[in-house]
Amino acid sequence: MRETANSSRIQTRIIDVDVHHTVRDWTELQPYLAEPWRSRIIQSGSHVGGLGYLSSAGHRRHDAQPAAGGPAGSDPALLLQQLVVENGVNVALLTGEIYGWNVHPNTAYANAVISAWNDWTVDQWLAPYPEHLRGCIAINANDPEAAAAEIDRLGSRTDMVMVIMGATSRMPYGQKFYHPIYEAAVRHNLPIGMHPAAAGTGVAHAVTAVGYPTTFFEYHTGLPTIFQAQLISLICEGVFEKFPSLRWIFIEGGVSWLPQVMWRMDKNYKGLRADTPWVKRLPSEYIREHCFFTTQPIEEPPNPDWLLQIFEMIDGQKILLYASDYPHWDFDARHVMARLPEAYRRKIYHENAERLFNL
Amino acid sequence: MARHVVATAVEIPPGARRIVEVDGRSVGIFNVNGHYYALKNSCIHNQAPVCLGKLGGTLLPSAPGEYRPGMAGQVLRCPWHGWEFDVTNGRSLFNPNVKLVSYPVTLQDGQIVVEI
Repeated sequence: MRETANSSRIQTRIIDVDVHHTVRDWTELQPYLAEPWRSRIIQSGSHVGGLGYLSSAGHRRHDAQPAAGGPAGSDPALLLQQLVVENGVNVALLTGEIYGWNVHPNTAYANAVISAWNDWTVDQWLAPYPEHLRGCIAINANDPEAAAAEIDRLGSRTDMVMVIMGATSRMPYGQKFYHPIYEAAVRHNLPIGMHPAAAGTGVAHAVTAVGYPTTFFEYHTGLPTIFQAQLISLICEGVFEKFPSLRWIFIEGGVSWLPQVMWRMDKNYKGLRADTPWVKRLPSEYIREHCFFTTQPIEEPPNPDWLLQIFEMIDGQKILLYASDYPHWDFDARHVMARLPEAYRRKIYHENAERLFNL
Repeated sequence: MARHVVATAVEIPPGARRIVEVDGRSVGIFNVNGHYYALKNSCIHNQAPVCLGKLGGTLLPSAPGEYRPGMAGQVLRCPWHGWEFDVTNGRSLFNPNVKLVSYPVTLQDGQIVVEI
């Protein structure tokens, strides 16, 4: 990491894999909803995600608040100004703010709202801004049959390049219950993205394996443990053996914990392979082949070279993707990755994403 | 390479094993289905007394969710970290290139002879 951080020096295409567009308020979805859900969303909004983990830094960038009202991320013009013009992003992948609905207690309501969200995304964001925006097919992972149907409904669209679902779930994602989702994703050659969402709410388990922490600081720091549990489950249940073309994107779950999980899984595989006889190679090999990890919120060690060392340990040139998380409070501007050697920068800023999403 | 008589055949019937000392070296002699095998009693991982581990079968590579028992009586499981080895060739089940030290065994006039 000898090169200096200077965003003006970055002369590269940038694909941002985690950009949160959102509704001004939930009633914006009502034209896309049938009864009884239309009345319900007008009456009560989402009622998803409120556990009381309040960030003292705010949850969204204060400077991204639209002047005309609505939350940051709800105004396409401002989003494009701050992301494309000011942050140099060429293509933004809209991950939205909907995947928390996959732990909504009422799956029928969640299915309807998620479908409405997808239709609204196409109409309001993807169709008007084809040059810079791509979308994700949001699904309710808690209802795999409906989720697969939603992927089938939208899977042939070329402007929706990933399936998105929450990292929070009722059971570990490797389990058979969820496999219809993976069948559908593979059928349409779509990678699956998994994003932190609504942990500890709805029908989800506690945020951490020891229960509910007190503050947002603790909640946010502990989110990678959810990703670790999901990754371990996906490998050990043989998901990538059963679906050899499936690719999985771990969004906003951190990166620097990966060496430990890879090494412990590889070590355990040597003694415990008979527990999971369908796992036929070292777990780290499946991870390097099938899994991708977005950079934001990138860990910031006191010695920046240590981060590059970790990238080397995990084959980071191959499996990392730049993401900003715009317009959330812990946004990573493009220059966060500018210290990396040139070969890394090209791969992380755009080449890996181009290959993954056919962009 | 020297030849060492380590036991008589009747002392180690099928399914049995015996740990013997040969030239100051601990060696496990195994009878798997009437064939004799000799393995150095030291795991290549952490030098555990591997030949004292559990002897049995395993679950063979399979499709997700399927269980295929196999290699009955042929798999030695190191007592320290559970690594599985095929007694008949010393190879680990997770990577055939990772193997225990093994020695040639012959049967001569009812005696088990190990070449070390």
